[in-house]
Amino acid sequence: MREQIPRPQPCAVSNEAAMREIADLAIDVAVSSGATYADCRVVQRGIQAMTVKGGRFAEVSSLEDEGMGIRAIVDGAWGFAGVDRLDPDSLRQAARLACRVARASARLRRQPVRLAPAPVVTGEYVTPMERDPFEVSLEEKMDLLIRTDEAMAAVAGVTTHEATLEFVREHRLFANSEGSLVDQIIVESGGGMDATATSDDDVQTRSFPNSFGRHQLCAGYEAIAAMDLAGNASRIATEAVALLSAPPCPTGRMTLILDGTQAALQVHESCGHPTELDRVRGDEAAYAGTSFLTPDLLGRFRYGSEQVTVTADATTPGGLGTYGWDDEGVAAQRTVLIDRGLFRGYMSSRETAADYGWTSTGAMRAESWNRIPLIRMTNVNLEPGDSSLEEMIAGTEHGVYLETNRSWSIDDRRLNFQFGTQNGWEIRDGKRLRLVKNALYAGRTPEFWRSCDAVAGPSEWRPWGVVNCGKGQPGQVIHVGHGAAPCRFRNVSVTAAS
Amino acid sequence: MISPASRDDLLALADSILERVGRDGAEVTVVHHEEALTRFARNQIHQNVAESSRRVRLRLMGDEQVGVAEIRGEVDDLQGRLIAAAEAARELAPGGDVTPLPRPDAGSDGPVAHSPATAACTPEWRAGQVGTVAAVSAVAGFEAFGALQTSLTQTAIANSQGVRRHATTTAASLICVARGENGWGYADRNHHDIRRLDPEQVAQEAVETCGRNQQATALDPGVYPVVLSPYAVADLVGHLADLGFSALAHQEHRSFMRPGERLMSGLVSIADDASHPDAMPFPFDDEGVSTRGVSCIEEGVCRSFVHDSATALREDIPSTGHALPMPNTFGPWARHLVVAGGESSLDDLIAACDHGLYVTRLWYVRDVNPLRTVITGMTRDGTFLIENGRLGRPVRDLRFTQSIVDALSDVRGVGRERSIEFDEGERALLVPALGLGRFAFTS
Repeated sequence: MREQIPRPQPCAVSNEAAMREIADLAIDVAVSSGATYADCRVVQRGIQAMTVKGGRFAEVSSLEDEGMGIRAIVDGAWGFAGVDRLDPDSLRQAARLACRVARASARLRRQPVRLAPAPVVTGEYVTPMERDPFEVSLEEKMDLLIRTDEAMAAVAGVTTHEATLEFVREHRLFANSEGSLVDQIIVESGGGMDATATSDDDVQTRSFPNSFGRHQLCAGYEAIAAMDLAGNASRIATEAVALLSAPPCPTGRMTLILDGTQAALQVHESCGHPTELDRVRGDEAAYAGTSFLTPDLLGRFRYGSEQVTVTADATTPGGLGTYGWDDEGVAAQRTVLIDRGLFRGYMSSRETAADYGWTSTGAMRAESWNRIPLIRMTNVNLEPGDSSLEEMIAGTEHGVYLETNRSWSIDDRRLNFQFGTQNGWEIRDGKRLRLVKNALYAGRTPEFWRSCDAVAGPSEWRPWGVVNCGKGQPGQVIHVGHGAAPCRFRNVSVTAAS
Repeated sequence: MISPASRDDLLALADSILERVGRDGAEVTVVHHEEALTRFARNQIHQNVAESSRRVRLRLMGDEQVGVAEIRGEVDDLQGRLIAAAEAARELAPGGDVTPLPRPDAGSDGPVAHSPATAACTPEWRAGQVGTVAAVSAVAGFEAFGALQTSLTQTAIANSQGVRRHATTTAASLICVARGENGWGYADRNHHDIRRLDPEQVAQEAVETCGRNQQATALDPGVYPVVLSPYAVADLVGHLADLGFSALAHQEHRSFMRPGERLMSGLVSIADDASHPDAMPFPFDDEGVSTRGVSCIEEGVCRSFVHDSATALREDIPSTGHALPMPNTFGPWARHLVVAGGESSLDDLIAACDHGLYVTRLWYVRDVNPLRTVITGMTRDGTFLIENGRLGRPVRDLRFTQSIVDALSDVRGVGRERSIEFDEGERALLVPALGLGRFAFTS
C-alpha cells in the first residue's frame, strides 16, 4: 500500500475546544464593542479532488481552508468580518471591524434589524457514513477514474472524456451571543463523468450521473460505489456518439417526461428559488432577483397539480443540503412549500421570518467562514408519487422523455423558463421510438406544474446533488440537494435547438 | 481592510517554499485578498461585509506526474503541510502529459489596475456613497437596490525556473437597480479607481430608466432589430469568448471559430488586451507568463486563440499568457476583452432603427447550442420599443434564443462610448452599445 494523501486536519485550531475559544473571544469583543447580537462561525474545510481526462491528463489536488466569520448587530444594523488569521489579535480586530461596519450600515437603516426568537441550542452533528472517503486510498480512487476513462475511450467516435471525484470534509462550529453552540462535521462525496463526441458541425456531450461535472451527496465513499461509474462509462460514451446522428427533437406541444436529474433542476429553479423569503423581501433584487410568490398567495395559490408536493427538508438522508443546524443555529427541519399543488410555505431566516411573525425554517447557509449566511435551499424535494417511468411512457401517445440537463435559464421572478437536455427519446403510442437530440422545453412555472399528472414512486426517487447554486454579493456557491423521481407533464411546448 | 501584506512578504514566502522544496518542477502562488461590499435594498443598507484572506498554492511536477496543494489561512507549519500534501499527490498521480513550467520572459510587472483610493476605502465612505444613491432614488419616489464593492488583490508567482512575478490590483463596482410601482431600471459602473464611480450619475441613470419602464405591456415574440446597451453587449461578448476564443476549445473541436473566415460584420473587432488602461490591466497569467494582446475577431474575420502553456505546447508556439491555475481541464481564458468602438452615439443607434427594441440588460444567459453559439436568456430592468427612431413604450421582459455569431453578422451600428463591465468580478470587458439587424425573441 502506497502512502495516502494527508487527511484534512484541523490546523491552527486543533479541536473543538480551541474553536470554541475563538468563537467566545470574537463574540465577547463584539458585545463589548456595542453589539446587541453577535454570532460566529469557525470553519475548517478540506477538499480532495482528482480528474482523469483522455488517459493522458491527471490532476490530484488538495485544499485546506480555515477561518472565522463574525456577524454583529450594532445600532440596529448588520456588520460582518471574516478573517483567516486566528490569533487573538486578529480575532479582536475582526470583531471590532464587524461592529464598525455595522455602525456604518446604521447610517442608512430606517428600521432596526429584528430576529425571530430561536431556541438556545447545543449539540454535535456528523454526517452519517459507512466509509470515510478520506480513509479510502488514493490508489483505489485513481483506479476507478482510470477504468472509467478507459471504458469511455474504448468507444469509437468519442473525442474527449473525463472522470472526476471530489470529497469535502467541513468542520464548522457556530456560537452566538444568546448562548447557542453547535459543532458539526459535514462530509460530501461526489463523482461523475463526461463523454463528448464531435463531427464537423455538431458537438454532443453525455454526462453521468448528472451534469455539472459530478453528482454529490452528504455521504461517505459508499455513495461513489453506488454510482458504478466504470459500469456506466461505455453506455454513456456510446450515447454521446449516437447523438451525433440522431434526429432533432420533435417540435410542438406534447407530453413531456423528465428523468430524476432534470426534474431535480426544474424543482431547483422553479420551486426552490421562488420560495426563498429574502427574494420576496427584495434583498436579492439587484442580483439574483425577486419572486412571483408574494406572501398574500400563501395557502390559496394553485402552484401545481394534486401530484405536486414539494418540501424543504434538511434532514433528508444523504441529501447534499442535510445538516444538524443551519448557520444561525436553527435546527434542521422539514418545511412544506407546496402541498398537493397548493403554495404553503417559504424557506426563511430569523430576520426574514420576524417580518411576518414567524419562526425561521433553518435555511441560512454560508459558503464558508468568509461569507455571511443567506437563505439557501436545503434539500428541496419533489415528494414521490405513485406512478413509474414505465407506466408514464406506456400512458403517453405522443411525447418525449428527456434526460440530463444541458441548458437552463429562468427569469428573475422565476416564471419564464427554458431548459435543454442532453438526451431525448421520442415516445409514440406508449413506446420509446427513437433517440433525439438538442431537446428544449419551455413554459411558465405555475402552468407547467399544474400540468403535472404523474410522479414516480419511492423506488425511483433519489436524492440528487446540485453543486453550483450561486446567489448573493459577494457571490456564494452552495451545494444543495433535491430528491426527485421521473415525472410527467401534459401539453408542454417542446422544440429542438437549431 | 485589516493589514495588507507587502510585495516583499509575498515573494519571500514563495521563495522560501521553493527553497524548502529544493528541486526543479515547483511553482508557488501566493494571493492576498481584501474585499468589502456594502449591499443595499429599499434605500437601506441590509448587508455589509469585509473579508481578509491569503491562499498559498504549490504545484509540484516530476516523473510525468503533477500534484497540487493549496492552503487558505494562516496555519501552523504551512510550508511543511503544503509540500507534504503536494508531494503525496504528485507521487500517487498516474503519469500523463505534464507541461513544463514556463521560464522567465521579458515582460514587466505592469501596467496594472491599481488605485490607492480604492485600497483605502472605508465602510463609512461606502455608506456615504450608498447614501447618495438612496437619496437620488428617494427624490424620484423609487427604491434603490444594489451593491458597492471594493477589493485589493496581491498576487505573487514564483517557480523553480526563475519566474518571479508580483502585482497588486484593485477593483471597484457600483450596481444600482431602481424600483418603481410597476417597473425597474438598471445602471452600473466599474473601474479600478473608486473615484471614477459617480454614485449620483449611476443612480440618475437607473432612476431615468425606471421612470421610463413603468406599466410595461406585452409584445409578441418574433425577430426584431435591436439596440443593445453596453450592459447587454458585455453578456453577449463574454459568452462568445467562452464558446470559442480558447485554444483548448479549438483543439477539442468545440469552438465556433474558423481562423481566416469572415463570420461576422466588418464592424466587429474583439481582442483580448490585458494592457488596455480601461480593461483592468494585469501583466501576467496564473503561470506567471506575460499576457500578450490577442486579436480574436478582426473586422468580422476569425483570427487567433488565447493560449496557456499546455495548448501552446501542442502547437509548438509560445503561450499568449492566458492560463488559469494549472493544470486544469478548462483551458486558457480571455480575461480582458476589448470590443472596438464605432462612430455612433446611443441616440444615433436608436435613430437608425425604424421599428425594434432597446434592451438594457440580459439575464440568466446560458448556452443552448455551443458550436453554433446559440444562447438563451431574458431581458431585464428596461426593455423598450423603438418606433420611428425614438424610444417608445416599455415592454415586458422577453426570452431570446439567438446565435451570437448570426446576431453579430448583421451589425447596423457601433457605439462610440464604451463601458467597463465586470463579469462576476473575474473578467473585464470594454464594450460599446450595438445596433443589430435581427434578434430572435421566443417567448
